[in-house]
Amino acid sequence: MPAEATREVSVKQSEAPVSEERERVRTIVPPVDVYENSEGIILLADMPGVPKENLDVQVDKDVLTIKGKIAKVVPDNLKPLYAEFGAAEYERAFTLGADVDISKIDARISKGVLRLFLPKLEEVRPKKIEIQVE
Amino acid sequence: MLRSWIVPTEPFFADLERMRAEMERLFDLAAPIGNIRGAIRGTFPAVNVGETPENVLVYIFAPGIDPDKLELTLEKGVLTVSGERDTSKEVGENPDPQGYHRRERFSGKFRRVISLPESVDPGKVSAKYSNGILTVTIGKREEEKARKIEVAVE
Repeated sequence: MPAEATREVSVKQSEAPVSEERERVRTIVPPVDVYENSEGIILLADMPGVPKENLDVQVDKDVLTIKGKIAKVVPDNLKPLYAEFGAAEYERAFTLGADVDISKIDARISKGVLRLFLPKLEEVRPKKIEIQVE
Repeated sequence: MLRSWIVPTEPFFADLERMRAEMERLFDLAAPIGNIRGAIRGTFPAVNVGETPENVLVYIFAPGIDPDKLELTLEKGVLTVSGERDTSKEVGENPDPQGYHRRERFSGKFRRVISLPESVDPGKVSAKYSNGILTVTIGKREEEKARKIEVAVE
């Protein structure tokens, strides 16, 4: 079958750029949603393929960095035929305001979605002022 | 492949990186030629296809979706995956969000159609969802599997 033969050739060629060496360094910026309320900031990031143990969330001074490594899912003898997603790691950083209580950041990951809750410091949370009626 | 070397770490550069990705996406829309079932970058969910001597494997990057809300069908060598992700529900009610700063993640209904190599056997399919990746394994037809031919030495 000539059609099959041509495909074989093109697959072989495309194999070269996605060698494991190169794939290891490919990092993508995960898309995020950031919400805020009076309690704090909620951040959701799409990081498919990252198990809990491969997740790294750090705060250095006022910079929050989220990193995640994709766990190996493909068998060793896999030949790529078509790829839209070619990253091995996720990384993204944000600057935080001084109102975030960095000691109480909560991070969890489920079904490839990272959820961070960055609570605000007690003293900056809005206080409701009671209005006295005479 | 220069872009894989200049991995942005500073927030400012990360934002530039997003801008670059967006530009790339726009140029993709205007590309003169493309696969009829191919997708522009940033399409949700992203799909990778590979093969081993025994199977064809399809990886669907669909984070944050309940596996039983995913619909998967295989017909005549065409795999279809559809479902819905509502990111506004994901935030939850507690704490109730009072507003947002960024909304970059995909929200809404999706449907992807993936054409598979002719060698697949539609009778041998299995699917598994783990860490936001749906892996579909489709066996190859017996006659399509590569056979090793022993060379007899006289």
